[in-house]
Amino acid sequence: MVRLPRFFAKKRGDRRTGAAIWGSVGEAVFHLILVGAGLVFGGLLVSGVAVPEWRINHDFLESRGTVIAAGLARLSPRDEAGREPRSRWQPSLKLRYATNQGVEESWAVAGSPSPDRLAARQQLEGLQAGVELPCWYDPTAPHEVVLRRGYNWWMWALTLLLPSALVAFGGAGLVRAAAGWGKSEERMAAGRGLGDSLADGPVVALDHPGVPSCEDLVNSPGTVLPFRLPTDSPESWTLLGFGLFAGLWNIVLVVLAINAGLDLLGGQTDRLLLAVLVPFAAVGITGIVVFTRALVVATAVGTTQLEISAHPLRPGGQYDVLLGQGGSGTLEDLEMTLELEERATYRQGTDTRTERLVVWRQRLGKWERLQVAAGTRCEVRATLQIPATGMHSFVSEHNSVGWRVVVQGRPSRWPHFRRSFPVVVFPPLVEAAAEKSLIEKGGR
Amino acid sequence: MSRGPDFAASIPRVAVHFSRVDRRYEPLKRIDVRYVVEAGGGVVRGMERSVLWYTEGKGEEDIGVHFFERITDRATAAAAAGTFGCELPRSPLSYEGVIVKIRWCVRVRLFFDGGRDFISEHVFDLGAVPAARLPSPG
Repeated sequence: MVRLPRFFAKKRGDRRTGAAIWGSVGEAVFHLILVGAGLVFGGLLVSGVAVPEWRINHDFLESRGTVIAAGLARLSPRDEAGREPRSRWQPSLKLRYATNQGVEESWAVAGSPSPDRLAARQQLEGLQAGVELPCWYDPTAPHEVVLRRGYNWWMWALTLLLPSALVAFGGAGLVRAAAGWGKSEERMAAGRGLGDSLADGPVVALDHPGVPSCEDLVNSPGTVLPFRLPTDSPESWTLLGFGLFAGLWNIVLVVLAINAGLDLLGGQTDRLLLAVLVPFAAVGITGIVVFTRALVVATAVGTTQLEISAHPLRPGGQYDVLLGQGGSGTLEDLEMTLELEERATYRQGTDTRTERLVVWRQRLGKWERLQVAAGTRCEVRATLQIPATGMHSFVSEHNSVGWRVVVQGRPSRWPHFRRSFPVVVFPPLVEAAAEKSLIEKGGR
Repeated sequence: MSRGPDFAASIPRVAVHFSRVDRRYEPLKRIDVRYVVEAGGGVVRGMERSVLWYTEGKGEEDIGVHFFERITDRATAAAAAGTFGCELPRSPLSYEGVIVKIRWCVRVRLFFDGGRDFISEHVFDLGAVPAARLPSPG
Protein backbone atom coordinates (compact mmCIF):
# COMPACT_ATOMS: atom_id res chain seq x y z
CA MET A 1 0.00 0.00 0.00
CA VAL A 2 1.35 3.45 -0.93
CA ARG A 3 0.98 6.07 1.79
CA LEU A 4 1.53 9.75 1.27
CA PRO A 5 3.81 11.50 3.74
CA ARG A 6 1.95 13.32 6.52
CA PHE A 7 1.45 17.06 6.19
CA PHE A 8 1.74 17.79 9.89
CA ALA A 9 4.12 16.40 12.43
CA LYS A 10 2.54 14.85 15.49
CA LYS A 11 4.26 15.27 18.80
CA ARG A 12 3.52 12.91 21.64
CA GLY A 13 5.70 13.68 24.65
CA ASP A 14 9.29 13.16 23.57
CA ARG A 15 8.28 11.50 20.31
CA ARG A 16 7.43 13.18 17.07
CA THR A 17 6.40 11.79 13.74
CA GLY A 18 5.95 13.56 10.42
CA ALA A 19 7.54 14.33 7.11
CA ALA A 20 9.70 17.40 6.70
CA ILE A 21 9.56 16.85 2.96
CA TRP A 22 6.25 18.74 2.70
CA GLY A 23 7.85 21.81 4.22
CA SER A 24 10.66 21.61 1.67
CA VAL A 25 8.13 21.10 -1.15
CA GLY A 26 6.13 24.15 -0.06
CA GLU A 27 9.24 26.28 0.20
CA ALA A 28 10.53 25.11 -3.18
CA VAL A 29 7.17 25.76 -4.89
CA PHE A 30 6.96 29.26 -3.44
CA HIS A 31 10.46 30.15 -4.65
CA LEU A 32 9.85 28.45 -7.99
CA ILE A 33 6.82 30.70 -8.49
CA LEU A 34 8.99 33.73 -7.75
CA VAL A 35 11.65 32.60 -10.23
CA GLY A 36 8.95 31.86 -12.84
CA ALA A 37 7.31 35.25 -12.33
CA GLY A 38 10.71 36.95 -12.62
CA LEU A 39 11.55 35.06 -15.82
CA VAL A 40 8.15 35.73 -17.43
CA PHE A 41 8.18 39.38 -16.42
CA GLY A 42 11.80 39.74 -17.50
CA GLY A 43 11.05 37.95 -20.78
CA LEU A 44 8.22 40.34 -21.55
CA LEU A 45 10.41 43.33 -20.82
CA VAL A 46 13.32 41.96 -22.82
CA SER A 47 11.12 41.18 -25.81
CA GLY A 48 9.30 44.50 -25.54
CA VAL A 49 12.23 46.81 -24.80
CA ALA A 50 15.61 45.18 -25.16
CA VAL A 51 15.20 43.09 -28.32
CA PRO A 52 13.70 45.89 -30.47
CA GLU A 53 16.47 48.27 -29.32
CA TRP A 54 19.14 45.65 -30.01
CA ARG A 55 17.76 44.97 -33.50
CA ILE A 56 17.66 48.67 -34.36
CA ASN A 57 21.35 48.98 -33.43
CA HIS A 58 22.51 45.77 -35.11
CA ASP A 59 20.13 44.66 -37.86
CA PHE A 60 18.64 47.85 -39.28
CA LEU A 61 20.25 49.17 -42.48
CA GLU A 62 21.17 52.81 -43.00
CA SER A 63 19.54 54.90 -45.73
CA ARG A 64 18.78 58.56 -46.55
CA GLY A 65 15.18 59.59 -46.09
CA THR A 66 13.36 62.58 -47.57
CA VAL A 67 10.64 64.19 -45.48
CA ILE A 68 7.38 64.15 -47.40
CA ALA A 69 5.03 64.99 -44.53
CA ALA A 70 5.13 66.00 -40.85
CA GLY A 71 2.44 65.64 -38.22
CA LEU A 72 1.42 64.79 -34.71
CA ALA A 73 0.12 61.34 -33.81
CA ARG A 74 -2.42 61.42 -30.99
CA LEU A 75 -1.69 58.91 -28.23
CA SER A 76 -4.82 58.41 -26.16
CA PRO A 77 -4.57 55.64 -23.58
CA ARG A 78 -7.96 54.71 -22.20
CA ASP A 79 -8.56 54.50 -18.47
CA GLU A 80 -10.42 51.64 -16.75
CA ALA A 81 -13.77 53.18 -17.61
CA GLY A 82 -12.84 53.31 -21.32
CA ARG A 83 -12.47 57.09 -21.36
CA GLU A 84 -9.56 58.98 -22.85
CA PRO A 85 -8.76 61.39 -20.05
CA ARG A 86 -5.59 62.88 -21.42
CA SER A 87 -3.99 62.72 -24.83
CA ARG A 88 -0.33 63.06 -25.68
CA TRP A 89 1.09 64.18 -28.99
CA GLN A 90 3.83 62.27 -30.76
CA PRO A 91 5.85 64.23 -33.37
CA SER A 92 6.15 62.07 -36.52
CA LEU A 93 7.62 62.38 -40.01
CA LYS A 94 6.64 60.58 -43.18
CA LEU A 95 9.80 59.62 -45.05
CA ARG A 96 10.61 58.36 -48.51
CA TYR A 97 13.75 56.21 -48.46
CA ALA A 98 15.50 53.60 -50.54
CA THR A 99 15.56 50.02 -49.22
CA ASN A 100 16.96 46.71 -50.43
CA GLN A 101 13.47 45.99 -51.79
CA GLY A 102 12.89 49.33 -53.53
CA VAL A 103 11.64 52.75 -52.42
CA GLU A 104 9.48 52.82 -49.30
CA GLU A 105 7.32 55.47 -47.69
CA SER A 106 6.58 55.22 -43.98
CA TRP A 107 6.03 57.25 -40.81
CA ALA A 108 8.85 57.49 -38.26
CA VAL A 109 8.89 58.83 -34.71
CA ALA A 110 10.61 62.23 -34.67
CA GLY A 111 10.61 63.26 -31.00
CA SER A 112 9.27 62.70 -27.52
CA PRO A 113 5.51 62.60 -26.93
CA SER A 114 4.14 65.61 -25.07
CA PRO A 115 0.78 66.44 -23.50
CA ASP A 116 1.23 69.96 -24.87
CA ARG A 117 0.31 69.98 -28.55
CA LEU A 118 2.23 73.20 -29.21
CA ALA A 119 5.40 71.86 -27.57
CA ALA A 120 5.12 68.67 -29.64
CA ARG A 121 4.76 70.71 -32.81
CA GLN A 122 7.83 72.79 -31.92
CA GLN A 123 9.91 69.61 -32.09
CA LEU A 124 9.12 69.46 -35.80
CA GLU A 125 10.46 72.93 -36.56
CA GLY A 126 12.90 72.89 -39.49
CA LEU A 127 11.71 69.45 -40.62
CA GLN A 128 9.56 70.58 -43.50
CA ALA A 129 8.98 68.56 -46.67
CA GLY A 130 12.07 68.00 -48.78
CA VAL A 131 14.57 67.87 -45.91
CA GLU A 132 16.90 64.89 -46.08
CA LEU A 133 17.73 62.90 -42.95
CA PRO A 134 19.71 59.75 -42.15
CA CYS A 135 17.39 56.89 -41.25
CA TRP A 136 17.55 53.16 -40.50
CA TYR A 137 15.07 50.56 -41.69
CA ASP A 138 14.36 46.92 -40.91
CA PRO A 139 15.57 44.80 -43.89
CA THR A 140 12.94 42.14 -43.08
CA ALA A 141 10.14 44.73 -42.80
CA PRO A 142 11.26 47.83 -44.75
CA HIS A 143 8.30 49.95 -43.63
CA GLU A 144 9.76 49.95 -40.09
CA VAL A 145 12.03 53.00 -40.02
CA VAL A 146 13.71 54.98 -37.24
CA LEU A 147 15.55 58.30 -37.15
CA ARG A 148 17.70 57.57 -34.09
CA ARG A 149 19.79 54.71 -32.80
CA GLY A 150 21.46 54.01 -29.43
CA TYR A 151 20.71 52.43 -26.09
CA ASN A 152 18.68 53.77 -23.21
CA TRP A 153 20.69 52.18 -20.41
CA TRP A 154 18.64 53.72 -17.59
CA MET A 155 15.46 52.23 -18.98
CA TRP A 156 17.15 48.84 -19.27
CA ALA A 157 18.35 48.98 -15.68
CA LEU A 158 15.00 50.11 -14.34
CA THR A 159 12.91 47.64 -16.31
CA LEU A 160 15.17 44.70 -15.46
CA LEU A 161 15.51 45.59 -11.76
CA LEU A 162 12.28 43.98 -10.56
CA PRO A 163 12.56 40.75 -12.58
CA SER A 164 16.21 40.40 -11.55
CA ALA A 165 15.27 40.84 -7.90
CA LEU A 166 12.51 38.22 -8.23
CA VAL A 167 14.86 35.74 -9.93
CA ALA A 168 17.66 36.39 -7.39
CA PHE A 169 15.36 36.04 -4.36
CA GLY A 170 13.56 33.01 -5.73
CA GLY A 171 16.81 31.43 -6.94
CA ALA A 172 18.45 31.86 -3.55
CA GLY A 173 15.39 30.29 -1.93
CA LEU A 174 15.49 27.39 -4.39
CA VAL A 175 19.18 26.79 -3.68
CA ARG A 176 18.42 26.87 0.05
CA ALA A 177 15.50 24.47 -0.40
CA ALA A 178 17.66 22.17 -2.54
CA ALA A 179 20.45 22.26 0.07
CA GLY A 180 17.97 21.27 2.77
CA TRP A 181 15.96 18.82 0.69
CA GLY A 182 15.15 15.76 2.76
CA LYS A 183 17.60 16.83 5.46
CA SER A 184 16.71 16.85 9.12
CA GLU A 185 17.06 19.90 11.36
CA GLU A 186 20.05 18.28 13.08
CA ARG A 187 21.78 17.46 9.81
CA MET A 188 21.36 21.03 8.61
CA ALA A 189 22.70 22.43 11.88
CA ALA A 190 25.57 19.92 11.87
CA GLY A 191 26.42 20.97 8.32
CA ARG A 192 27.11 24.48 9.58
CA GLY A 193 29.93 23.09 11.68
CA LEU A 194 29.90 20.63 14.52
CA GLY A 195 30.62 22.30 17.82
CA ASP A 196 30.17 25.69 16.28
CA SER A 197 26.68 25.65 14.94
CA LEU A 198 26.39 29.41 15.21
CA ALA A 199 28.86 30.03 12.40
CA ASP A 200 26.30 32.24 10.65
CA GLY A 201 25.03 33.83 13.85
CA PRO A 202 26.61 35.82 16.65
CA VAL A 203 30.37 35.71 17.20
CA VAL A 204 31.16 33.17 19.89
CA ALA A 205 34.26 32.58 21.99
CA LEU A 206 36.81 30.01 20.90
CA ASP A 207 36.05 26.50 22.29
CA HIS A 208 32.98 27.84 24.06
CA PRO A 209 29.91 27.24 21.89
CA GLY A 210 27.10 29.65 22.69
CA VAL A 211 29.29 31.96 24.78
CA PRO A 212 29.73 35.43 23.25
CA SER A 213 33.22 36.58 22.37
CA CYS A 214 34.59 39.27 24.65
CA GLU A 215 37.29 40.58 22.31
CA ASP A 216 35.57 43.96 22.05
CA LEU A 217 35.48 44.26 25.84
CA VAL A 218 39.18 43.80 26.53
CA ASN A 219 40.78 46.02 23.91
CA SER A 220 40.62 49.19 25.98
CA PRO A 221 42.97 49.45 28.96
CA GLY A 222 41.84 51.26 32.09
CA THR A 223 43.73 54.02 33.91
CA VAL A 224 43.83 52.15 37.24
CA LEU A 225 42.49 48.64 36.56
CA PRO A 226 43.44 46.51 33.52
CA PHE A 227 40.26 46.91 31.44
CA ARG A 228 37.89 49.77 30.70
CA LEU A 229 34.44 48.48 29.77
CA PRO A 230 32.52 50.03 26.85
CA THR A 231 29.07 51.37 27.64
CA ASP A 232 25.93 49.99 26.10
CA SER A 233 23.84 53.00 26.92
CA PRO A 234 20.43 53.43 25.29
CA GLU A 235 20.76 57.16 26.06
CA SER A 236 23.16 57.61 23.14
CA TRP A 237 20.71 55.99 20.72
CA THR A 238 17.84 58.06 22.10
CA LEU A 239 19.92 61.19 21.59
CA LEU A 240 20.78 60.15 18.04
CA GLY A 241 17.11 59.44 17.36
CA PHE A 242 16.02 62.83 18.67
CA GLY A 243 18.73 64.51 16.58
CA LEU A 244 17.81 62.70 13.37
CA PHE A 245 14.11 63.40 13.85
CA ALA A 246 14.65 67.08 14.59
CA GLY A 247 17.05 67.46 11.64
CA LEU A 248 14.94 65.69 9.02
CA TRP A 249 11.67 67.26 10.16
CA ASN A 250 13.10 70.76 10.08
CA ILE A 251 14.66 70.23 6.62
CA VAL A 252 11.16 69.41 5.30
CA LEU A 253 9.82 72.42 7.19
CA VAL A 254 12.42 74.75 5.62
CA VAL A 255 11.64 73.47 2.10
CA LEU A 256 7.91 74.04 2.65
CA ALA A 257 8.57 77.47 4.19
CA ILE A 258 10.72 78.52 1.20
CA ASN A 259 7.93 77.45 -1.17
CA ALA A 260 5.36 79.39 0.83
CA GLY A 261 7.68 82.45 0.91
CA LEU A 262 8.24 82.34 -2.87
CA ASP A 263 4.48 82.12 -3.39
CA LEU A 264 3.93 85.14 -1.17
CA LEU A 265 6.64 87.11 -3.00
CA GLY A 266 4.97 86.20 -6.27
CA GLY A 267 1.70 87.60 -4.99
CA GLN A 268 0.04 84.19 -4.51
CA THR A 269 -1.25 82.79 -1.23
CA ASP A 270 -1.46 79.03 -0.86
CA ARG A 271 -3.72 78.82 2.22
CA LEU A 272 -3.50 75.05 2.44
CA LEU A 273 0.31 75.20 2.53
CA LEU A 274 0.24 77.91 5.20
CA ALA A 275 -2.26 75.89 7.25
CA VAL A 276 0.03 72.85 7.08
CA LEU A 277 3.10 74.94 7.98
CA VAL A 278 1.78 75.99 11.38
CA PRO A 279 1.53 72.52 13.00
CA PHE A 280 4.69 71.46 11.12
CA ALA A 281 6.59 74.37 12.64
CA ALA A 282 5.25 73.53 16.11
CA VAL A 283 6.47 69.92 15.83
CA GLY A 284 9.82 71.08 14.41
CA ILE A 285 10.45 73.52 17.25
CA THR A 286 9.42 70.90 19.83
CA GLY A 287 11.85 68.44 18.21
CA ILE A 288 14.72 70.93 18.49
CA VAL A 289 13.86 71.70 22.14
CA VAL A 290 13.70 67.99 23.09
CA PHE A 291 16.97 67.22 21.28
CA THR A 292 18.76 70.22 22.82
CA ARG A 293 17.55 69.26 26.29
CA ALA A 294 18.69 65.63 25.83
CA LEU A 295 22.05 66.85 24.51
CA VAL A 296 22.53 69.22 27.45
CA VAL A 297 21.59 66.50 29.95
CA ALA A 298 23.95 63.99 28.30
CA THR A 299 26.88 66.38 28.30
CA ALA A 300 26.18 68.08 31.65
CA VAL A 301 25.92 64.82 33.60
CA GLY A 302 29.32 63.80 32.32
CA THR A 303 30.72 60.51 31.16
CA THR A 304 30.62 57.35 33.24
CA GLN A 305 33.65 55.09 33.08
CA LEU A 306 33.91 51.60 34.48
CA GLU A 307 37.15 49.70 34.94
CA ILE A 308 37.48 46.06 35.97
CA SER A 309 40.35 43.95 37.24
CA ALA A 310 39.86 40.98 34.87
CA HIS A 311 37.83 39.87 31.90
CA PRO A 312 36.16 37.50 30.99
CA LEU A 313 34.62 36.72 34.35
CA ARG A 314 33.98 33.29 35.86
CA PRO A 315 31.26 32.06 38.22
CA GLY A 316 32.47 32.34 41.80
CA GLY A 317 35.12 34.90 40.87
CA GLN A 318 35.62 38.22 42.67
CA TYR A 319 36.64 41.31 40.72
CA ASP A 320 37.55 44.88 41.59
CA VAL A 321 35.50 47.53 39.88
CA LEU A 322 36.32 51.22 39.63
CA LEU A 323 33.54 53.62 38.74
CA GLY A 324 34.52 57.07 37.50
CA GLN A 325 31.82 59.69 37.09
CA GLY A 326 32.59 62.92 35.26
CA GLY A 327 30.64 66.19 35.11
CA SER A 328 30.23 68.84 37.76
CA GLY A 329 27.94 69.50 40.70
CA THR A 330 26.34 67.25 43.26
CA LEU A 331 25.10 63.71 42.73
CA GLU A 332 22.26 62.99 45.16
CA ASP A 333 23.08 59.32 44.82
CA LEU A 334 25.00 56.94 42.59
CA GLU A 335 24.17 53.25 42.51
CA MET A 336 25.94 50.32 40.87
CA THR A 337 24.21 46.96 40.34
CA LEU A 338 25.06 43.68 38.68
CA GLU A 339 22.27 42.23 36.55
CA LEU A 340 21.56 39.07 34.59
CA GLU A 341 19.18 39.68 31.71
CA GLU A 342 17.44 37.21 29.44
CA ARG A 343 16.59 38.37 25.95
CA ALA A 344 14.29 36.54 23.54
CA THR A 345 13.52 37.57 19.97
CA TYR A 346 10.38 36.25 18.36
CA ARG A 347 8.12 36.94 15.43
CA GLN A 348 4.57 38.05 15.88
CA GLY A 349 2.89 38.18 12.50
CA THR A 350 5.22 40.22 10.34
CA ASP A 351 6.84 41.98 13.33
CA THR A 352 10.04 40.90 15.02
CA ARG A 353 9.94 41.62 18.73
CA THR A 354 12.50 41.33 21.48
CA GLU A 355 11.56 40.81 25.11
CA ARG A 356 14.03 41.50 27.91
CA LEU A 357 13.76 40.34 31.48
CA VAL A 358 16.17 40.85 34.38
CA VAL A 359 16.21 37.57 36.33
CA TRP A 360 18.94 38.34 38.87
CA ARG A 361 20.10 41.59 40.40
CA GLN A 362 22.59 42.49 43.12
CA ARG A 363 23.56 45.93 44.37
CA LEU A 364 27.31 46.42 44.32
CA GLY A 365 27.23 49.77 46.09
CA LYS A 366 25.33 52.96 46.66
CA TRP A 367 26.91 56.31 47.39
CA GLU A 368 25.14 59.49 48.42
CA ARG A 369 25.86 63.23 48.17
CA LEU A 370 28.90 62.96 45.92
CA GLN A 371 30.60 66.17 44.85
CA VAL A 372 32.04 66.17 41.35
CA ALA A 373 34.43 68.99 40.52
CA ALA A 374 34.59 70.28 36.95
CA GLY A 375 37.47 68.75 34.99
CA THR A 376 37.88 65.82 37.36
CA ARG A 377 36.02 62.59 37.92
CA CYS A 378 34.55 61.18 41.06
CA GLU A 379 35.92 57.67 41.70
CA VAL A 380 34.36 54.92 43.80
CA ARG A 381 35.38 51.28 44.14
CA ALA A 382 33.38 48.13 44.65
CA THR A 383 33.79 44.37 44.53
CA LEU A 384 31.87 42.37 42.00
CA GLN A 385 31.21 38.70 42.63
CA ILE A 386 29.58 36.34 40.18
CA PRO A 387 27.55 33.66 42.01
CA ALA A 388 29.36 30.30 42.02
CA THR A 389 26.38 28.58 40.41
CA GLY A 390 25.54 31.51 38.16
CA MET A 391 24.74 31.03 34.49
CA HIS A 392 27.43 31.94 32.01
CA SER A 393 26.78 34.46 29.23
CA PHE A 394 24.94 32.88 26.34
CA VAL A 395 24.09 34.08 22.87
CA SER A 396 22.37 32.45 19.93
CA GLU A 397 20.55 33.85 16.94
CA HIS A 398 17.30 34.61 18.77
CA ASN A 399 18.11 34.21 22.45
CA SER A 400 20.67 35.47 24.90
CA VAL A 401 21.52 35.53 28.58
CA GLY A 402 23.78 38.44 29.42
CA TRP A 403 25.49 39.96 32.45
CA ARG A 404 26.00 43.69 32.86
CA VAL A 405 26.93 46.31 35.40
CA VAL A 406 24.34 49.07 35.60
CA VAL A 407 25.16 52.54 36.93
CA GLN A 408 22.28 54.80 37.91
CA GLY A 409 22.67 58.34 39.17
CA ARG A 410 20.50 61.19 40.39
CA PRO A 411 22.19 64.56 39.83
CA SER A 412 20.82 67.41 41.91
CA ARG A 413 19.96 69.61 38.92
CA TRP A 414 19.44 67.12 36.14
CA PRO A 415 17.19 64.15 35.46
CA HIS A 416 18.09 60.64 36.58
CA PHE A 417 20.50 58.74 34.29
CA ARG A 418 21.19 55.03 33.72
CA ARG A 419 24.18 53.53 31.92
CA SER A 420 24.98 49.86 31.45
CA PHE A 421 28.26 48.05 30.84
CA PRO A 422 28.04 44.49 29.48
CA VAL A 423 30.46 41.89 30.81
CA VAL A 424 31.00 38.34 29.60
CA VAL A 425 30.90 35.46 32.07
CA PHE A 426 32.48 32.22 30.89
CA PRO A 427 31.43 28.81 32.28
CA PRO A 428 33.37 27.58 35.36
CA LEU A 429 36.86 26.29 34.65
CA VAL A 430 36.48 22.53 34.47
CA GLU A 431 40.00 21.63 33.32
CA ALA A 432 41.45 22.48 36.72
CA ALA A 433 38.84 20.41 38.51
CA ALA A 434 39.35 17.49 36.11
CA GLU A 435 43.16 17.61 36.52
CA LYS A 436 42.80 17.73 40.30
CA SER A 437 40.51 14.69 40.17
CA LEU A 438 43.01 12.78 38.01
CA ILE A 439 45.90 13.57 40.39
CA GLU A 440 43.82 12.41 43.33
CA LYS A 441 42.98 9.15 41.52
CA GLY A 442 46.63 8.58 40.57
CA GLY A 443 47.77 9.21 44.15
CA ARG A 444 45.50 6.55 45.59
CA MET B 1 -9.10 7.93 25.28
CA SER B 2 -8.09 4.37 24.70
CA ARG B 3 -6.88 3.22 21.33
CA GLY B 4 -7.03 -0.16 19.72
CA PRO B 5 -4.12 -2.54 19.85
CA ASP B 6 -3.39 -2.11 16.11
CA PHE B 7 -2.81 1.62 16.46
CA ALA B 8 -0.48 1.18 19.44
CA ALA B 9 1.50 -1.47 17.61
CA SER B 10 2.15 0.87 14.64
CA ILE B 11 3.82 3.62 16.75
CA PRO B 12 7.60 3.31 16.75
CA ARG B 13 9.34 3.41 20.13
CA VAL B 14 12.90 4.27 21.03
CA ALA B 15 14.06 3.61 24.57
CA VAL B 16 17.28 5.37 25.55
CA HIS B 17 19.41 4.51 28.57
CA PHE B 18 22.01 7.03 29.70
CA SER B 19 25.39 6.14 31.16
CA ARG B 20 24.40 8.18 34.24
CA VAL B 21 21.10 7.34 35.86
CA ASP B 22 20.48 10.94 36.99
CA ARG B 23 21.17 12.19 33.41
CA ARG B 24 23.37 14.95 34.81
CA TYR B 25 26.74 15.44 33.11
CA GLU B 26 29.64 17.78 33.63
CA PRO B 27 31.28 19.73 30.79
CA LEU B 28 34.09 17.87 28.99
CA LYS B 29 32.83 14.56 30.40
CA ARG B 30 31.74 11.72 28.19
CA ILE B 31 28.14 10.82 27.57
CA ASP B 32 27.22 7.32 26.39
CA VAL B 33 23.76 6.12 25.54
CA ARG B 34 22.25 2.80 24.63
CA TYR B 35 19.04 2.71 22.69
CA VAL B 36 16.49 0.09 21.77
CA VAL B 37 14.26 0.60 18.74
CA GLU B 38 10.83 -0.88 18.16
CA ALA B 39 10.02 0.14 14.60
CA GLY B 40 6.29 -0.58 15.04
CA GLY B 41 5.89 -2.44 11.80
CA GLY B 42 7.53 0.21 9.58
CA VAL B 43 10.60 -0.41 7.45
CA VAL B 44 13.52 1.70 8.67
CA ARG B 45 15.74 2.91 5.84
CA GLY B 46 17.97 5.31 7.77
CA MET B 47 18.79 6.73 11.16
CA GLU B 48 20.34 9.87 12.61
CA ARG B 49 21.81 10.01 16.09
CA SER B 50 22.71 13.33 17.59
CA VAL B 51 23.61 15.13 20.79
CA LEU B 52 22.45 18.72 20.67
CA TRP B 53 21.18 21.72 22.56
CA TYR B 54 18.19 23.85 21.72
CA THR B 55 16.52 26.88 23.21
CA GLU B 56 13.00 27.00 24.54
CA GLY B 57 10.91 29.84 25.85
CA LYS B 58 9.56 33.01 24.39
CA GLY B 59 12.07 33.42 21.55
CA GLU B 60 12.41 31.52 18.30
CA GLU B 61 14.09 28.15 18.74
CA ASP B 62 17.84 28.01 18.16
CA ILE B 63 19.71 24.74 17.85
CA GLY B 64 23.34 23.69 18.13
CA VAL B 65 24.45 20.20 17.19
CA HIS B 66 27.46 18.88 19.09
CA PHE B 67 27.49 15.31 17.82
CA PHE B 68 25.86 14.00 14.67
CA GLU B 69 25.95 10.61 13.02
CA ARG B 70 23.92 9.51 10.02
CA ILE B 71 23.43 5.85 9.24
CA THR B 72 22.27 5.09 5.73
CA ASP B 73 23.10 1.40 5.74
CA ARG B 74 19.67 -0.23 6.00
CA ALA B 75 20.87 -3.23 7.96
CA THR B 76 22.63 -1.08 10.60
CA ALA B 77 19.79 1.43 10.74
CA ALA B 78 17.18 -1.29 11.16
CA ALA B 79 19.11 -2.94 14.00
CA ALA B 80 16.99 -3.14 17.11
CA ALA B 81 19.63 -1.68 19.44
CA GLY B 82 22.81 0.35 19.41
CA THR B 83 25.10 2.62 21.38
CA PHE B 84 26.79 5.93 20.76
CA GLY B 85 28.46 8.64 22.75
CA CYS B 86 30.75 11.64 22.71
CA GLU B 87 32.67 14.03 24.91
CA LEU B 88 30.50 16.97 25.91
CA PRO B 89 31.63 20.57 25.32
CA ARG B 90 32.29 23.30 27.86
CA SER B 91 29.11 25.16 26.97
CA PRO B 92 26.30 26.08 26.78
CA LEU B 93 25.22 24.69 30.13
CA SER B 94 21.62 23.59 30.64
CA TYR B 95 19.63 26.56 31.86
CA GLU B 96 16.11 26.90 33.19
CA GLY B 97 15.49 30.60 32.71
CA VAL B 98 12.24 32.52 32.75
CA ILE B 99 11.93 33.41 29.06
CA VAL B 100 15.05 31.61 27.80
CA LYS B 101 15.76 27.95 28.49
CA ILE B 102 18.62 25.85 27.18
CA ARG B 103 18.10 22.12 26.96
CA TRP B 104 20.51 19.38 25.99
CA CYS B 105 19.15 16.20 24.50
CA VAL B 106 19.97 12.99 22.74
CA ARG B 107 17.91 12.68 19.59
CA VAL B 108 17.34 9.55 17.56
CA ARG B 109 15.58 10.09 14.25
CA LEU B 110 14.30 7.14 12.27
CA PHE B 111 13.51 7.42 8.55
CA PHE B 112 10.92 5.04 7.19
CA ASP B 113 10.17 3.92 3.68
CA GLY B 114 7.53 6.27 2.29
CA GLY B 115 9.11 9.50 3.54
CA ARG B 116 7.93 9.49 7.17
CA ASP B 117 10.33 10.08 9.96
CA PHE B 118 10.12 9.62 13.71
CA ILE B 119 12.03 11.58 16.32
CA SER B 120 12.73 10.37 19.81
CA GLU B 121 14.20 13.01 22.10
CA HIS B 122 15.68 12.45 25.56
CA VAL B 123 16.72 15.43 27.64
CA PHE B 124 19.71 15.47 29.98
CA ASP B 125 21.49 18.19 31.96
CA LEU B 126 24.88 19.65 31.24
CA GLY B 127 26.24 21.37 34.34
CA ALA B 128 24.24 22.29 37.39
CA VAL B 129 23.03 25.84 36.99
CA PRO B 130 20.03 26.40 39.28
CA ALA B 131 16.77 27.59 37.77
CA ALA B 132 16.40 31.35 37.44
CA ARG B 133 13.89 33.15 39.62
CA LEU B 134 12.65 36.65 39.20
CA PRO B 135 14.26 39.07 41.68
CA SER B 136 11.93 40.46 44.29
CA PRO B 137 10.70 43.96 43.40
CA GLY B 138 12.72 46.77 44.87
